[in-house]
Amino acid sequence: MSQATDLAAAAGSTDPRVGLRAVVALRRLLERLEVVQVDNARRQGWSWQEIADALEVSRQGVHKKHAGRASARTQGGA
Amino acid sequence: MFERFTVQARDVVRGAVAARERLGHRNVGTEHLLLALLDPARSSVAELLDQAGVDAARVAEAIDRKLGRGTEEFGDRDAEALRSIGIDLAAVRSKLEESFGAGALEPPPSRSSRRGLFGGWDFSSRFSARAKKVLELALREAIQLRHREIGAEHILLGLLREGQGLAALLLTEAGVDLADLRRRTLDSLRSAA
Repeated sequence: MSQATDLAAAAGSTDPRVGLRAVVALRRLLERLEVVQVDNARRQGWSWQEIADALEVSRQGVHKKHAGRASARTQGGA
Repeated sequence: MFERFTVQARDVVRGAVAARERLGHRNVGTEHLLLALLDPARSSVAELLDQAGVDAARVAEAIDRKLGRGTEEFGDRDAEALRSIGIDLAAVRSKLEESFGAGALEPPPSRSSRRGLFGGWDFSSRFSARAKKVLELALREAIQLRHREIGAEHILLGLLREGQGLAALLLTEAGVDLADLRRRTLDSLRSAA
């Protein structure tokens, strides 16, 4: 579809504002997706270590970022 | 330092915090301080800014244009930007809602935004370096003028002295001569004293 051309157009845009704004939006989407998926994993009883491994980050990092959120604190305990 | 803020100056800072929340921005920046200073219900310098030709609604629009509403709101501007790299946010959203229910992509409730710094001041952590600098400069201005308290005028002076933030840019774009506004602010302090 036109997606590839859109991508090419953005990648080749001479206006940095367009491209950089896309980076920001993508980062926001990434953050949201991470929250959704981490919460889901916690609900399904995954440990922080398992989540960290799947995300290819450190357990401390993922814990620090997500453990404070009520929806990520679940039945499973620490 | 904050115990030296007048009731009004505290109200300005609170207004800036509220503006950040309303706009869904990550940090309180100089632009939010400016918005609060423009609010006649909070700030004694609102009139001064108005006389200098700064229009609150226009400033708000300019902030919207430059920053979007955004970090937490995930609005149309993000959708548009994602479209520019071939990502259909609506499609992503509907996929997620299929699996995780309505509102899956909405922001999680903010995590204890009132942690009671300075009695509900939600300070330091959420202020940009520049906004902090403005408040420091406000204190310095007060000291230099041998004023015991920091008022809205001092915050404006701090904003003008900082001179590099988005607020300063917005003022310049509104056609304000920063040096002139500084003089007028000092005059109004003098006449009030």
